Amino acid sequence: MRSAPLGTAYRVAAWTAVFYLMTLPLLGPLRALWVAVAAFAIQAVVLFGKISPAHRERFLSVVGGRTHLASWLDSRPAWFRTAVPVAILAIVALSGLGMSPYTLDVATNAGIYVLLALGLNIVVGMAGLLVLGYIAFSAVGAYTYAILNTQMHLSFWLALPIGGALAACFGLLLGLPTLRLRGDYLAIVTLGFGEITRITLNNWNSVTNGPNGILGISPPSFFGFPFTQPKHYFYLVLVMVALTAFFSRRLERSRLGRAWVAMREDETAAESMGVPTLKLKLLAFTLSAFCGGVAGVVFASKQLFISPESFNFLESVMVLCMVVLGGMGSVPGVILGAVLLSFLPEVLRGAAEYRLIVFGAAMVLLMQYRPQGIWPSSRRFEEFRQEK
Amino acid sequence: MIPGGALLQQIVNGLTVGAVYALIALGYTMVYGIIELINFAHGEIYMIGAYVGTISAGVFLAAGLPVWASLVLAIATAAALTSLYGLSAERLAYRPLRKAGRLAPLISALGLSIFFQQYVFLAQGAKDKVFPAAITSGGFVLGSVRVAYIQVAIILVAAALMVSLQAFVGKTRMGRAMRCTAQDPVMASLVGVPVNRVIALTFVIGSALAAVAGVLVVMYYGKVNYLAGYAAGLKAFTAAVLGGIGNIPGAMLGGLFLGVVESLAAGYIGGEYKDVVAFVILVLVLIVRPQGLLGVRVPDKI
Amino acid sequence: MSLRPRPGCTAALLLLAFAFLSGCAGDEGKTIRVACAGPMTGEQAKQGRDMEEGAALAVEEWNAKGGALGKKIELLVYDDAQDPKQANAVANKMFTQGVVIVDGHYNSSCTIPASEVYNQRKMVCLTPASTNPQVTDRRYPTIFRVCGRDDQQGKAGAEWVVKHMPTAKVAVLDDKTTYGQGLAREFQKSYETLSGRKVVFAGVIVKEDQDHTSVLTTLKGYEPDLVYFGGLYPQGGLIVKQMRQLGIKASFMSGDGTYDPEFIRIAGAENAEGSYLTFIPDQEKIPTAERVVEAYKKRFGEVGPYSLYSYEAVNIALQGVAKAGTTDGLKVAQAIHAMAFDTVFGPMKFDDKGDVLVSPYVMWQVQGGKLVQLPPDS
Repeated sequence: MRSAPLGTAYRVAAWTAVFYLMTLPLLGPLRALWVAVAAFAIQAVVLFGKISPAHRERFLSVVGGRTHLASWLDSRPAWFRTAVPVAILAIVALSGLGMSPYTLDVATNAGIYVLLALGLNIVVGMAGLLVLGYIAFSAVGAYTYAILNTQMHLSFWLALPIGGALAACFGLLLGLPTLRLRGDYLAIVTLGFGEITRITLNNWNSVTNGPNGILGISPPSFFGFPFTQPKHYFYLVLVMVALTAFFSRRLERSRLGRAWVAMREDETAAESMGVPTLKLKLLAFTLSAFCGGVAGVVFASKQLFISPESFNFLESVMVLCMVVLGGMGSVPGVILGAVLLSFLPEVLRGAAEYRLIVFGAAMVLLMQYRPQGIWPSSRRFEEFRQEK
Repeated sequence: MIPGGALLQQIVNGLTVGAVYALIALGYTMVYGIIELINFAHGEIYMIGAYVGTISAGVFLAAGLPVWASLVLAIATAAALTSLYGLSAERLAYRPLRKAGRLAPLISALGLSIFFQQYVFLAQGAKDKVFPAAITSGGFVLGSVRVAYIQVAIILVAAALMVSLQAFVGKTRMGRAMRCTAQDPVMASLVGVPVNRVIALTFVIGSALAAVAGVLVVMYYGKVNYLAGYAAGLKAFTAAVLGGIGNIPGAMLGGLFLGVVESLAAGYIGGEYKDVVAFVILVLVLIVRPQGLLGVRVPDKI
Repeated sequence: MSLRPRPGCTAALLLLAFAFLSGCAGDEGKTIRVACAGPMTGEQAKQGRDMEEGAALAVEEWNAKGGALGKKIELLVYDDAQDPKQANAVANKMFTQGVVIVDGHYNSSCTIPASEVYNQRKMVCLTPASTNPQVTDRRYPTIFRVCGRDDQQGKAGAEWVVKHMPTAKVAVLDDKTTYGQGLAREFQKSYETLSGRKVVFAGVIVKEDQDHTSVLTTLKGYEPDLVYFGGLYPQGGLIVKQMRQLGIKASFMSGDGTYDPEFIRIAGAENAEGSYLTFIPDQEKIPTAERVVEAYKKRFGEVGPYSLYSYEAVNIALQGVAKAGTTDGLKVAQAIHAMAFDTVFGPMKFDDKGDVLVSPYVMWQVQGGKLVQLPPDS
């Protein structure tokens, strides 16, 4: 059904005017004009261009379609599907030998983001609970290592489980009262928790040294061999990423993982089938917090200096973006998302100012045209297709 | 050590901040009431309102208009132009996702919030924008409490807007359509309510109110910057939840309550912990009384 | 054209991602590489640009003289985006690209973690703007500071108060940042030692807030005669404005973070009148700086508060290189420690921590809506 041409023209003119007026005060008359021209052009192309409903369908199915490589991979035999990640791991490990310290450093940061994104993926992707203050768990881990190491010379390897466990405890404590809430309240409560954590770290001078942060954290050492070069961290993080990815993958296909999916898709139905949803939510929350804590310990051991400003809301958003961009619930997707987003700023040095605005716009557009992310999990893809 | 007058002064301080929270909270509460979406970008709309007000006040003053006329016109301009942001946000970022479950619109809202924030940063720079007309800090002294006229103005304007909004929703045809859509959009469309237009109108009204709050704040404090939306939005949302989300008098009560609590916390516990107090109250309210102070418990839709 | 998806697209994307991993190795040229690192993007982009311009001026002058050790000087600019993590990353990048001298960073929170890398890699780092004591208190041999320290600045403020307002009751506020808290604490410490009296009130404001009236109402109850604030100008301006609104008549004093004409605009000229700020001497009035200020203005325009510090950081480092006869970090650092420099700020010498020996701070006051430097002995 098409609306009358006059009505359409009127509407196009109205929206063009809206965009001009809206941007006029902030951008000034000239730049606002460009916005209006762009708004007009886009509408004109969409409405008067030769875009038939069939074209549109086609476009959506391409943009929103299954990643070809992913579906190709899924149709390969099992040994092949195992071999691919192993091969990628080997290639990355080998290329580490030839990297400059700077590239290694950036790659290590990317690896830490991968750890965080995989952790957040458990709760957001698998269990379907939106957590907005995820970086707080990482802060708990990082500060645990920083404090215990500088005061009691706790070793990195012991700090890994301790930091993770402490973060998990926080997750449990936060989750117990709040997981009964509906999804969007949970998002806000976790956001509030993230803020409380940051504010507390910034103010509890006697323990966290307040805004100055903690200096002089010692690097990890392996049987007396200290990690001093960017290369060492690179391999440490690579091993941890490989392990986390492996466990995430196993988790996804386990009984637990399937129960999460059931809960995510229809909580009431799952519950009536005997799925203990509250317990499952708590478990997802705690596991996810554990991963965040571990990533925090690694972060602190690499940075050797931590301060509250490294754990602000934007970091949480960043990690969430990685999960969403890559594909919620898809382990390869999340890894890809984290790697892409951590390398992007290095590539777009000249356009650094525009990085965040592009992120924001990408999140909005992605939700409309490709909510399943770049590399969706096969299961998730089907769901989104049905919802459309 | 602390004189008794200080307590009253703290309450006056808190009410001013709270009235602003309440005005922003109205937008959250209306949108949530009607489409069950936490409009994360709403805080940014408030910030944009402050910018538009500041810039247009500058234009009106430069055109030689008297100060009071410039201020009134600036508020009107900000409300009108900023509501367009709400309108287009709804059309471009939320309407396509109305049937897409809960997570997608929430992430879209988050993205939009970052987009707006960065858009203002790129357009206007990182420096604080200073309001062109210095509103003289004239006021009166009541006992030991000092009240600026502009504080009174903020509280009065907020109250007036809330009362008229309540009347609009409760008494007019459009208001009835809004309540109808909030209860059941499908049913509403069946009985002939133009659901899309009603939802768009909700966004427009909410944005206009946030813009008014933005201009009042920038007049009172004298400056705004592109990051101002985040904290204010978060607080206003807290206020909306406190009062009972979806409930207009609740938003007002929640805003004033939060403002006063924060003010007392900053005054008597210490400035560094006031935000912690605010969030702890939010978590407690959600746990003990998820429907908020004035809300009614609605079972989850199945 | 077919619209079918191609496996190539995703594969290309993947390849692209891994292509960065292979990185680009530094190409050591026949130049001496000097880095200028600071916040080139984001909120503090202006401060970053000031640093860059100062460094560029110094490099141009050296190159006009034929460079150092017979090599041309090459300036590379790095953006730390005021993020400690990013500062660390660019520090590693500099090492990769063969940088020997670093003029940076701006924020103490960036200089501190980055200097761990500089120390490890034996690169010479001179910060033109990071005033936190921790920057040099770790006594790394190759780390220097050209500007003053927060404790020097806090002390300058305290001395002034003790001398000119000996009976004043003093309250202290800070914004809970590394800079603000550090400065406020140093002021408080010096004040309490010098005067033998305690401050009457010490409070904290939230930097992101617009409304500080609650804390100020509590502060008012202690009836201070002077409020010292550790923080930046937007908050400083609001505090002064809200103090006056609440009827607090106390004088206001703050440090270099509040030194900005915007401070007066935000506070309102009549509210800010009489406020004290510790800052470096007016660069335009230092006789030794005249030539450089002139050249800077001709080349880039307005001189920023840290432009000349950045200029001198590069100058000092290159003089060190020339003296040491090598670009080896430790040797250059030794040379810098041993030398005395003739800078636009007058003679300069470094102590064993890498700090300047003479505190550069003087007192400024808002008079008639403008910032005016008070004569040193008044």
